[in-house]
Amino acid sequence: MDRREELEKKRLKLAELRRARLERRDALMAPQPTRTSTPGSTSSRRDLDDLVASLVDRPATPTLTIDGSSDAGSDRGATSSSAVMSPPPYQTESQGGLPHGTLPFGGRLIPEFTSVEAVIFDIPPKERVVYNKEVQTVEGSFEPQGPSEEELREQIKAEFAQEEQLRLELLEAERMENEAVVPQEAPELTDEERKSIVQSAEFVDFVDHSSKILERAMTEKYDFMKDYTLGLDDDTEDLNGNRMRLVSSFHDDRWSKNRSVTDVGWSTKHPELLVSSYNKNPLAVNEPDGIVCVWNIHLADRPEFVFHSQSDVLTVRFSDFHPNLIIGGTYSGQILLWDTRAKSLPVLKTHLSVGGHTHPVYAIDMVGTQNAHNLISVSTDGTMCSWQLDMLAQPQETLALDYPSHPTTDEVAVTTLGFPDGETNAFWVGTEEGSVYQANRYARAGSQAGINIAYSYKGHFGPITGLHFHPLFGPMDFSDLYLTSSVDWTVKLWRKRTHPKPATPDNAVVHPLYSFETADDYVYDVKWSPTHPAIFGTVEGSGKFEVWNLNLDTEVPVMSTIVGAGKALNKLSWSKDGRHAAIGSSDGHVYVYDIGEMATPHAEDWNILQRTVNEMISTQTHGNALGNDY
Amino acid sequence: MSEVEETIRRLSSKKNVQGVVVVNQLGLMIRSTLEASLGKQYATLMSDLIRTAKQSVAQLDSQNELTFMRIRTKKHEIMICPEGEYLMIVIQTPDNS
Repeated sequence: MDRREELEKKRLKLAELRRARLERRDALMAPQPTRTSTPGSTSSRRDLDDLVASLVDRPATPTLTIDGSSDAGSDRGATSSSAVMSPPPYQTESQGGLPHGTLPFGGRLIPEFTSVEAVIFDIPPKERVVYNKEVQTVEGSFEPQGPSEEELREQIKAEFAQEEQLRLELLEAERMENEAVVPQEAPELTDEERKSIVQSAEFVDFVDHSSKILERAMTEKYDFMKDYTLGLDDDTEDLNGNRMRLVSSFHDDRWSKNRSVTDVGWSTKHPELLVSSYNKNPLAVNEPDGIVCVWNIHLADRPEFVFHSQSDVLTVRFSDFHPNLIIGGTYSGQILLWDTRAKSLPVLKTHLSVGGHTHPVYAIDMVGTQNAHNLISVSTDGTMCSWQLDMLAQPQETLALDYPSHPTTDEVAVTTLGFPDGETNAFWVGTEEGSVYQANRYARAGSQAGINIAYSYKGHFGPITGLHFHPLFGPMDFSDLYLTSSVDWTVKLWRKRTHPKPATPDNAVVHPLYSFETADDYVYDVKWSPTHPAIFGTVEGSGKFEVWNLNLDTEVPVMSTIVGAGKALNKLSWSKDGRHAAIGSSDGHVYVYDIGEMATPHAEDWNILQRTVNEMISTQTHGNALGNDY
Repeated sequence: MSEVEETIRRLSSKKNVQGVVVVNQLGLMIRSTLEASLGKQYATLMSDLIRTAKQSVAQLDSQNELTFMRIRTKKHEIMICPEGEYLMIVIQTPDNS
């Protein structure tokens, strides 16, 4: 092959060079018998050169001086270059053609000390020419050797171009053939062939994958070829400050029919993805009881992913720290972990044994940082467990939440959980009887693990359905405020208490700061907006989705709309940019609303909110002093 | 296999979509919701086009490959998704709203 020829050529060249060197050495030895010292040194140097050359298999110094030092591009080791540098004191650099050891002045040695700059030769990286699949030759990596690396590269390029040419010609020929053949036979596949193709697994995958891509591409509403110069009849769909608009509704006939949505959440990594969980379909006995779907805003007809579970999934979220993982808590007390890269069954799950929960898990949360995070789950049997995501076989710790001075039972039936932003130890739980308690995960100085019995936040008359702390962002910190929603038709605003004053007895009752009472049905969820400090949304059993702005009005919501067909709405979740709200309804639909400009806060909003909250606080204390409780 | 049928049917029943054609590498039509002759025409013409497009992309940069092609004409928009051995072609009239 070509390689061998080239190798042969190189070998011949090398042999020639060696011969030339030998001749020159003899020539040198003969005319200068008087110079004993220098030949010795030069010959020793030459021996060194030979040794190096033989070891490294490169032509040694004499070729350099012959070719001149202009061969800068070639690949030389430093050793041979240093050998070059020593003779020049005996000859001028420009006269590269002078044979070794010739003195410009006859007889006496006058060493000329010239300052020589050591030229640092750059060794270019070895050129690996790898043939890609289209070229039929099977060549390994090609290492350039020898002085003519440039030439070799040129050669390779020429060869490649040639082969490319050949291949194109071949393809052309084939295509001509095909085209010639095709009109002769019936230009169709036979039915059997078709059937076999359609049934093959890769065809199914192909259809699945490409149809998703196509559907996403089709949903683009913007017509980029629009001609703005023509006058159009205006289709005003402007969003003035106070209107909300339905962006899309997600429903799948196969998976979400007859089920209700139990939780919705957004993805942290991809802002267009949302996840929703469903409970069981009483009419379809053979289908899995719990379903989790991941929807893409741009793909309205079908979920991106569908995950199954053995029992109803009551709460679901994307993992805050891993964009591929989805965690869900179920009716059976199991916690399941799904991976978008895997298939539809859970990748990991907790055991249905005493180690974890045995009652339905209604709330989960993730706390910590990227490297040190835990999943916290609470269930209605009053246990809180913390888990490591990669080890769901047993909880890292279990904590029984007891409230000992409760009249009937010690354990607290927890329905909701809330961690203030940035906190990993203290958390608040909402219970079935309507009180909120603060609990600690670990025993710290001054507080024990478990429920902190110093305070109980009583104010609701029914099970608490939602608890949300004010997210920590912006110039002021409102993270001591939290909202709760309950079956008693109200939403209440509370301020958290941390340190018990020494004079207060245990079981001090804390009253809400404010109560929002305009609802006319169970309020199923309440969430603060992640961008605007004074905005929060609520969803109710009458199908209403309301947005409140505390800076504008604390008595009535700013926007209110009936969602979908008026069925009860179960859960609400704001997207990260605060503009979109995902609402899960009990008929299996997930609606996404856009609230428009309202979501962007102004600089004074924080101050206004602070003033409003202070007012509320002063009214409360004033009211308490007068003996009025909320 | 019925999933495949259903997906194709669902794609083609979306509004603005005129037809869906599934073609294999050689330009032979596997499924089509358009009438047979038109479907065949689309099949051969589009697969030729995709082949040329693929080659051009590969020549421009050998590391690159063609993933999606969208042809916008006055009347329609043709979207072609080549993947492995097959092509899926969707013809729709874009929404001019």
